[in-house]
Amino acid sequence: MLVIRRKAGEAFHIGDSIEVEILEVGSNQVKIGIKAPREIAVLRNEVYLTENQNKAAATAAAALLGRLGAVNKAK
Amino acid sequence: MPQADTQQFGIIEYVDEDVIAFPLGLPAFEQETSFLLVAPLKTKPLVFLQSLGRPELCFVTLPLEVVDPNYQLSVSAEDLVVLSLNEQNLTAVGSAKDARVLCLAILSLTDSRPTANLLAPLVVNLTARRGVQAIRLDHVYSHQYPVEAFACS
Repeated sequence: MLVIRRKAGEAFHIGDSIEVEILEVGSNQVKIGIKAPREIAVLRNEVYLTENQNKAAATAAAALLGRLGAVNKAK
Repeated sequence: MPQADTQQFGIIEYVDEDVIAFPLGLPAFEQETSFLLVAPLKTKPLVFLQSLGRPELCFVTLPLEVVDPNYQLSVSAEDLVVLSLNEQNLTAVGSAKDARVLCLAILSLTDSRPTANLLAPLVVNLTARRGVQAIRLDHVYSHQYPVEAFACS
């Protein structure tokens, strides 16, 4: 992980198309502005994790029920 | 009676009162805004969230209290608005006044083991028939909480 320190008002670039600016620094929260092309999704971590979990869950339904069948047969 | 085509249960009949609206859809499935809750006795305590629009889209869930009886629910103000609830505090078993609330965790397989997403439970206002996936803003619970093989009746 690249770690850099920035103060309010300072910015950095990711690749050629993404710019991140630290807008405000508060006592327990940072306000961040992100400029990125529309096709690049910018997601809070918990939203990103939930999206991935939902996609995995959608495809796992049949396998989950198959495991359940195995539990029932073992009883 | 209206009918829904489902991959898991075949054709099922339902009444409009059975349909739960998810106005925001679910993360990664924002277009899916209507679901049925299906809870067959033989797979109790599983609750299935079946999409009305897509027969193959069906989430397997468990009530939160089955996964973690001590779960502390935390629903954002925005999500409470979607749910048409104005309670400040909900417990996992849904103690909102004047509304029946059901809280479910979506199950998935992680490294071939069943896990529950406790970071973002489904919260359903059964009285208003509205639901939301309430993503927590804290980091107290895991999106991949291992669940034991659960016994079914």
